[in-house]
Amino acid sequence: MNHDEVARLLGPFQDGELDLATSQKLEEHLASCPSCQQKLAGEQELANLIRSEIPRFQASPFLKTRIQAALRENKSTSATIPSWNPITLAWAYSGLAVATLVILAVGVFWTQRVPVLEQEAVTNHVRSLQVSHLMDVASTDQHTVKPWFAGKLDYSPQVVDLSPSGYPLMGGRLDVLDHRNVAAIIYQRRKHYINLFIWPSDTKSLHARLYNQNGYHVLDWTKSGMNYLAVSELGEKELNEFVQMIQDQTIDK
Amino acid sequence: MEQYRDAGGNLSQPDFEQVFLPHLDAAYNLARWLLRNDQDAEDAVQEAYLRAYKAFARFRGGDGKAWFMTILRNVCYTMIKKLRSNETSEPFDERIHQSMSDLEMQEAFRRKADAENLHYALEKLPDEFREIIVLHDLEGLAYREIAAVASIPIGTVMSRLARARGRLRTEIIALNAKEPSS
Repeated sequence: MNHDEVARLLGPFQDGELDLATSQKLEEHLASCPSCQQKLAGEQELANLIRSEIPRFQASPFLKTRIQAALRENKSTSATIPSWNPITLAWAYSGLAVATLVILAVGVFWTQRVPVLEQEAVTNHVRSLQVSHLMDVASTDQHTVKPWFAGKLDYSPQVVDLSPSGYPLMGGRLDVLDHRNVAAIIYQRRKHYINLFIWPSDTKSLHARLYNQNGYHVLDWTKSGMNYLAVSELGEKELNEFVQMIQDQTIDK
Repeated sequence: MEQYRDAGGNLSQPDFEQVFLPHLDAAYNLARWLLRNDQDAEDAVQEAYLRAYKAFARFRGGDGKAWFMTILRNVCYTMIKKLRSNETSEPFDERIHQSMSDLEMQEAFRRKADAENLHYALEKLPDEFREIIVLHDLEGLAYREIAAVASIPIGTVMSRLARARGRLRTEIIALNAKEPSS
């Protein structure tokens, strides 16, 4: 092998794309050729830097949800009927259309995938209701609840009272979400409770979306460097109303 | 792949998702590097999934990732044509390359090869060079997979990757020449 041949093959060599025989010939040449060794070192350095220093762009977690929804939609509007036999086809024309609509509606509800964070929040919410551990500090006074978190968390959550609007503040609790201690503020609506989790958005931001898991609704968003996640068995409409009020009353820092 | 099909040879949506959604990150990364912004990249990936879903009846097994990335790549290039129809690329100065020894090149490169400059240089590469570096060095596709995705012979993959890396190195050195480090 001459230098030119070696130079041409250094890339594939370091990429592990050469067959064994060619690799061996190339190694023989390298063993006795400092200038080609130098070239190889340069190639390796470049490839390593590309791999270690250039970012892989990360898709937003919502792209997946969006695509799944698009696939479903595509299926319901433009799906072809491939190889039905005549009997099935006849049946399809009579009753399947309605059945399909029902199945699709239920399917949408069931298969919407709830991300790990939101699932964890629902679990926290359910547990807070089960084991009579809803509150560490029970108070309807925001000036009692807010200072209670001082010293327990490395940030200070904003606590607002919504009792004039029918969502009275009930108290606060220390909880764990997304591998960290978070503030849980508890609000009540009739016989229902809302857990509002608040923590700094230093690792990830949330994108104001509504999730539904087994009848629990989760709405989360990011504002002024803080993540907010509200979870409750309340209906979508009321939870939205609650979140709107919280958003209006949390002050931009 | 065959185990996912029903009697009519069709793939249900959950199965399609199970097979192809794992490639979402790779697809997004390539689309984002080719199209240069989040919105276009997301649109391209979504479009690619819809096309793949419709075209699945024509897929006869083999490398699902390469098959899907081929569709994605086509979507991206169609979008590029629309988006940058009157954009001309900067002429490339080969002289730096010719006037330096290997060792000098390597040292000049090393001085400037930080994350920011590498990113900048990769962004400046022509699409076909940028894409091959993303597919090979960032996504870890083998030469034969890239050959399938880009519809080129393996020999072309090899020479194009070498030229792309050489060009990236030269871009970084050229950067060095323009803004000498103090």
